[in-house]
Amino acid sequence: MRRFTFFGGKGGTGKTSCAAAYALSLASKGTRTLVVSTDPAHSLADAFGKPIGFETALLRENLWGLEIDAEVEAKKYMKVIQEKVLDLVSAAIVEEIKRQIEIAYMSPGAEEAAIFDKFVELMESAGTTYDAIVFDTAPTGHTLRLLTLPEILETWIEHLIEKRRKAMHLMKMAARYDSVLADKIKEDPIIETLSARKEKFALARRYLTDSALSGFFFVLNAEKLPILETARAVELLGKHGVHVGGMVINKVIPPEAGAFFEKRRSAQEGYLADINSRFSSFVRVELPLLDSDIQGVEQLEMMVPLLGALDASGE
Amino acid sequence: MNRQVFWEKLKSTLHNTWEFIVLFHHGTFVDKRMAVVRKEAFDINDNLMLLLFGDYLGVPNPMSYYMLELLPYVANDLEPWERRIQNRKFLIAEKAAQYDFD
Repeated sequence: MRRFTFFGGKGGTGKTSCAAAYALSLASKGTRTLVVSTDPAHSLADAFGKPIGFETALLRENLWGLEIDAEVEAKKYMKVIQEKVLDLVSAAIVEEIKRQIEIAYMSPGAEEAAIFDKFVELMESAGTTYDAIVFDTAPTGHTLRLLTLPEILETWIEHLIEKRRKAMHLMKMAARYDSVLADKIKEDPIIETLSARKEKFALARRYLTDSALSGFFFVLNAEKLPILETARAVELLGKHGVHVGGMVINKVIPPEAGAFFEKRRSAQEGYLADINSRFSSFVRVELPLLDSDIQGVEQLEMMVPLLGALDASGE
Repeated sequence: MNRQVFWEKLKSTLHNTWEFIVLFHHGTFVDKRMAVVRKEAFDINDNLMLLLFGDYLGVPNPMSYYMLELLPYVANDLEPWERRIQNRKFLIAEKAAQYDFD
């Protein structure tokens, strides 16, 4: 069974509704499912019509929800570090160190890193606490960055470890006649910490690139811009080895829409044909445009049977 | 009795001579070389610190957030490192000093 399902795509195409409905369908089959929003601007709670926060909330039987809050995660992380600093460092420089931590917290990329950390932590919990995790991701750019982050950072951290190894090797040579230095370098927490970090990136990469475990679904509308953006994103994910599971074509105007929509509908036919030829190798599901927006569990449940075809692509 | 005193004396003389030889050898051939190695090791480490905490000097770091977890272990070296790295002037002079051309 697929353990991680991602819903992504251009803003406003209906990612959250699809993720919510898909999570509902898994839960109703008895799969312990967690639905997570990684978008800094959360809308998962609105889709379910129930409050969800940065702590996991039970939504119904077998279904939990979570909205990752970068700020809360970053604060948790910094608190752990501050406590460690207090243990290891002389009181004189503690204030200085606290300032450094504040600087890093404000630095660009901190929020992203905090979300990524939580993301990996959740992925580790799948298989034990939960059977499946459904990710309602942020619009394409943000998500692609999140999914390709481990590959980039892994290489970077490898170089750091290499450099530290070289320094330690030379120090060991020098320490042969210097017992003070030898004592100092007996164990190296820096390599340990860096290696642990690297392990985390490697793990995330293994999960993301394993097509048996992860599948990425694009939600798009039958319009020009979403199609082009999706095509680019599919290419990029392929480059990074992330398995694309399929496409959900949302808000398809039905024939009974009436005269006002007739012209749009004929343009849509062209786009649908374009989608079918561009993404012919993926599973495609079409969802109709409804006469009202989707809200609350009851309405989401109406979408469930339509999304059934997505499961087949996991095999 | 006399014999034993003689042996004791000989033993200590030999021991002292050997120690002298070891120290002489160490001072002449080993110590300076090891100082070079030591310097090189610390230089590499300083460069590594620049990669880890460059953002304190204004060099952007893609993952300064993750580098925080190293902070407890390097905190004590951070201030001297900042001073050293900001005082660097001539890379060539620095390297030349290492090889001790006197």
